[in-house]
Amino acid sequence: MGPRSQPYVVIPAYNEAPVVSRVVAELGRAGYAAAVVDDGSRDATADAAHAAGAAVVSHPFNLGQGAALQTGIDYALAQGAEVIVTFDADGQHRVSDISRLTEALLQERAHFALGSRFLGQAPNLPPLRRALLRAATAFTRLTTGLQVTDTHNGLRAMTRRGAATIRLRQNRMAHASEWLSQIAASGLRYVERPVTIDYTAYSLAKGQSIGDAILILLDLFARRLYR
Amino acid sequence: MIAQFILSILLAGIVVYAWSEYARSPVVAVLTLLIASAGLYFVWMPDHSTQLAEAVGIGRGVDLILYIWVCLSLIVLLNLHLKLRTQMELITALARKIALADARPARAQTERRTPSSTFAATAVDAESRSI
Repeated sequence: MGPRSQPYVVIPAYNEAPVVSRVVAELGRAGYAAAVVDDGSRDATADAAHAAGAAVVSHPFNLGQGAALQTGIDYALAQGAEVIVTFDADGQHRVSDISRLTEALLQERAHFALGSRFLGQAPNLPPLRRALLRAATAFTRLTTGLQVTDTHNGLRAMTRRGAATIRLRQNRMAHASEWLSQIAASGLRYVERPVTIDYTAYSLAKGQSIGDAILILLDLFARRLYR
Repeated sequence: MIAQFILSILLAGIVVYAWSEYARSPVVAVLTLLIASAGLYFVWMPDHSTQLAEAVGIGRGVDLILYIWVCLSLIVLLNLHLKLRTQMELITALARKIALADARPARAQTERRTPSSTFAATAVDAESRSI
């Protein structure tokens, strides 16, 4: 990876029309190329993102965030991206954190740089959600052996080589654990860097619940039963 | 005797089915195979089923068979679920191809759009799949 390679930001979005253009515009002002994967939204997400200056890849129907991220990675690789960043559409990530991750890739010669809200800050994180995230992290550490502090953070940076080893098969939210198991399996170097998550009423309403956590566990269990 | 023959044929069918499923899901195949073989055995040895039922604390052999049947149904259900998941993966791959083929490049880059971008995406797909 060259020192001046332009990061390509991949944004999975499902019914995010009210917020996606602001995120894309902000990324554009910071000089990043952005690709929004519209995951079968029923609202104007795709048009809003395109008008704001992003490339748009639209799933013909809703497949889930894991599928959308994989599509975005495939697209970015096809565009020749040397560095790929995944970023949430709901505005909970800070554009200024991206450079911290991409610099970590260079400085640490790593292929994955993962954002962690527990190394950084998460103002307004509700206690129940914090407990749920802690539990998910403990579970993932146990199953993958990676010593990470935040397994469910959507802000990640990776090199082209790293991205090519990722093949998400969990379409729904269980992909967060899948990332880590595939990073572990790739044997490539990874680092964690603190990032800030801004919890707004909007992002909290769209976030994960206890019920989702149970579904995620079922998904992961089913995954082990067949090839 | 007729009932025993009919049941034997059906259970033998399940054994063959389990065998054919082995490559896809060994767990499901082995469980199905075990239960169908036990069924086959008890169809011809009903007394043994009663003895076994009494040994494990179930009143009659018929009840034991009923419970086994329930287990078998659940395993078939699990197998169907796994099959649906496999199908979902195929559908996802198909939808992804379509999405990438119809991708809208960012506005500033529209002029230098390359028609080969979809083929590049396919190549990347094939490349990363081999890992």
